[in-house]
Amino acid sequence: MSTRCMRNSCLQAVCSVVAGIVLALCLTIPVAAAESPGYVGSETCKTCHEEIYNNLQKTPHFAIETGARKGWEKKSCESCHGPGAKHAESASADDIRNPAKLTPVETDHTCLTCHLNQRTPGGRIASGHAKDQVGCTTCHFVHGAAGAKLVEHKKSEINARCSTCHISEWAAFNRPYKHRLPEGAMSCMDCHNPHATFSADTMRTSFGNEPGCLQCHSDKRGPFVFEHAPMRLEGCVACHEPHGSANPRMLVRHEQSLVCLECHSNVSMPSAQNAKIGGVPPAFHDLRTSRFQNCTVCHVKVHGSYVDRELLR
Amino acid sequence: MRLLATLLLLVPLAAQEPAAPAPAPGKPADQAAPPPATQTATPPAAQLAAQPAAQPAEAPPQTSTDNWLQGSFEVGYRWIPGGIDGNFDAYRSVVNLGQGPKLLDADFTILNPSKILFDRADVHATSWGGDPYNTLRVDIQKNKIYRLLADYRNIAYFNFLPSYADPTLSQGVQLNQNAYDTAIRTLNVQLDLLPGKWITPYVAFARNTQFGSGITEFFTDQNNYAVASLYSDQTNDYRAGVRMEMGRYHLTIEQGGTTFKDDQGASNNEPNAGNVPGLFNGQPLVLNQLQEQYRVRSNSVYTKVLGAANPFSWMTITGQFVYERPHTDVNYVQTSAGNFFLNDLFQFYSGGQDVLTGYANMPHSFGNVTVELRPWKRLRIVEFWNTDRYHNSSNALLAENLLLVGTAPLTDQQLATDRLNLNYSEEEIDAFYDVTSHLILRGGYRYVWGNTDLGAPALSGLMLETGSVRQNIGIAGVNYRLGQKFRVVADAEGSSSGQTFFRTGLQQYQKAHIRASYDVITSLHLAGDFSLLNNNNPDPTVKLDFASKVESASLFWTPKGGKWANLLLDYSRSAISSNILYLVPETLTPTPSIYKENAHALTAVVTVRWFTFGGSLFTSSGSRPTQYYQPLARFSLPLNKHIRWNTEWRWYSMSEAFYAYEDFRSNQLMTSLRFTR
Repeated sequence: MSTRCMRNSCLQAVCSVVAGIVLALCLTIPVAAAESPGYVGSETCKTCHEEIYNNLQKTPHFAIETGARKGWEKKSCESCHGPGAKHAESASADDIRNPAKLTPVETDHTCLTCHLNQRTPGGRIASGHAKDQVGCTTCHFVHGAAGAKLVEHKKSEINARCSTCHISEWAAFNRPYKHRLPEGAMSCMDCHNPHATFSADTMRTSFGNEPGCLQCHSDKRGPFVFEHAPMRLEGCVACHEPHGSANPRMLVRHEQSLVCLECHSNVSMPSAQNAKIGGVPPAFHDLRTSRFQNCTVCHVKVHGSYVDRELLR
Repeated sequence: MRLLATLLLLVPLAAQEPAAPAPAPGKPADQAAPPPATQTATPPAAQLAAQPAAQPAEAPPQTSTDNWLQGSFEVGYRWIPGGIDGNFDAYRSVVNLGQGPKLLDADFTILNPSKILFDRADVHATSWGGDPYNTLRVDIQKNKIYRLLADYRNIAYFNFLPSYADPTLSQGVQLNQNAYDTAIRTLNVQLDLLPGKWITPYVAFARNTQFGSGITEFFTDQNNYAVASLYSDQTNDYRAGVRMEMGRYHLTIEQGGTTFKDDQGASNNEPNAGNVPGLFNGQPLVLNQLQEQYRVRSNSVYTKVLGAANPFSWMTITGQFVYERPHTDVNYVQTSAGNFFLNDLFQFYSGGQDVLTGYANMPHSFGNVTVELRPWKRLRIVEFWNTDRYHNSSNALLAENLLLVGTAPLTDQQLATDRLNLNYSEEEIDAFYDVTSHLILRGGYRYVWGNTDLGAPALSGLMLETGSVRQNIGIAGVNYRLGQKFRVVADAEGSSSGQTFFRTGLQQYQKAHIRASYDVITSLHLAGDFSLLNNNNPDPTVKLDFASKVESASLFWTPKGGKWANLLLDYSRSAISSNILYLVPETLTPTPSIYKENAHALTAVVTVRWFTFGGSLFTSSGSRPTQYYQPLARFSLPLNKHIRWNTEWRWYSMSEAFYAYEDFRSNQLMTSLRFTR
């Protein structure tokens, strides 16, 4: 990359940061809710809910108590549960807001007050979980669970959490050719972002805006001098079953050649109404011989080639 | 204003093609607000049962100085008595566990009493000591100062499946291509500064490497040769940014860059008859020597901006824009010696040298905006727009020098250019209506459009291929909850016509997904899952008819909190049927490609006191009938308060009806001690 390009990129980045900060500061609306009457402070809550309070102390959420969020110092409990004076007086559960008993949407909006933009590219509101009304507290322990964690971090525990609902997906990992999730080497979250993405099936992105698969398979990233279109247009799932398959290399077909030929079989290509990409199969390939049984025996660079248009090297 | 905004959201739809019918929105929106419903909680013990060999969760760390270190580690030894029965390469490709001492698991938390450099450190490691999958995760934090998160994974990727390399192996023909014995290592490190503050700068680094050996291919016109290959590539990703949380407004700005290098190569230093042994035009086609070396260097810079805002209590807006500009430089050299044949000149040649230099540029822009409006308490409208655009242009100059037999050497230069452009967009609008506190209806519409042009295959006679995608998709959904006990979610979407890029793409399709869970009693959790996909392309040259159906059920029983016993049952049945016309290459005759699979997967694990037994099985019939069994038995005895002795037996067995030479079986015995503090 030329020095000039680098300089322009840096300049763009600096300008973006400055503009963003200025814009954000201009738009900031002070949070004044905590100043309203009816708040009693966390120490009062602790009187009856000491165990919960002690757990909360060990979690990142306790930062609210010590002023991480302006206006909520010493009111961390009420930052989610709302004013607690009435409840403190009556000791009735009906007199306090319990996010765990709200509808998922209402629970989400409580959490998103602070977490709208954290590690949720594009926002939680468009995720599959949001559409299916799976609230934040389905997976997250707001007060901290065993180990004072807000959520599971071990790969095996993450997988166990996801598989509670995603039974079919987890069953696919019983197949012989699969990613190494049952072995605990990977977790569902290595590929999926449960909060939200705009890729299909909440697939993660990597290296800016590339498909998440490339995080580990970065040799397939390119850009290649000679691209193989399905890699870019439909992604890895055009040919592979990422959760597991009975077919080698997690392919979608039992014979590798059929994976290729089902696309490379256009005769009337391209028709104006419904053009299909894929071309025609080369007629001189005689599939009756062993040599041509597997297309990738010769077309070794099937993910894209730096050297050859026919993906032969 | 909110009504105006809602109407504005709907305006773009008027400019689009008619939508597929969406479900009725339900009752009028001005009904009184329903009492709040409750969510279904996941049974905590289900996590343990889903991992049969897992240990109970550790106790929460205490802050007292006596307990500054808490956690556990497990060390043991694995035997494979009798070795691997059957195909060892297939075993390594599927299971790949070996004998020897192992650090099976380490999971501990350090609570620093002095809090000088850090407050807390969590470390988790699995499968060290020769196992093919090693992981390490370190999470160190100091309250309000920093959080350092590092995640490392090393996966041994061995893949040499005889049936994949050569489906005709049973006929006695041995082709060796397409084998890998590599290691894929991935490291992610992120340092957040001032976590929990309104402004959080962060820096991050990621690395992915692959290195090892394999078998690849040297291709010539009339023969191809299996040759040894070496793989060595590395990608580094550097990024830094700042996250700002300001009341109702949130912003993340990130600048990143990547470097990539690929130095793979292939070589051969002995006579190699290739896949066409014997004589061709009276001469053997043989490779005596080959050196092939890639030198690929790639870099990119990217800028990412994410924003989210709640400007009003009834409106949420999020958006993201990412721009990256990857560039690749290629240098490639190949020298070969032997006896080869050149189709173009109908002549033999004894060797050659190819030198290629090339480059590729692919600016890539990605952006999206989502707006959620809540004009009334019961109604939410979510509008989503997304676009993804990249334009890859590349060229390469190939200098070729062939030593023709009996004539002067042939020198040639070829300049090749290529391109791949994609403009892809989608827009979706969904309406969610709370009919009651238990019932939510959802209806929506998605419009997908895009086009691409790319270099056409040589035989098409065209310079460029073009394709486009146009889809109108109707969406519907129902969500029903009854307290914390019962929950059903159903989703459906369908498209009646459209255009797709590929013959196998979604054309006229219907998707449905139903998921339900029911806590019969506190200790008994039932769940079910059903999904369906039908896809058809009636084009007479395609005639695609695809159907997929998956039904799953799960039972989890933990009497008396699972203290003495628990039972997990997961069963899944799937059926895939695909029928599409393809052209048989040797005759160009349209022929149906039929793929069928009927599969059953079962996991059953019973734990009684110290004994666990069960396992999983997978069996399928159809195009590639396969059986894969993984039974296990485990004995876990507490020796004292801090030490537990575990002994486990596992059995791995795979058999395939059409490729019996890939079958394998393996007994594995493991004993270990788990120390807990």
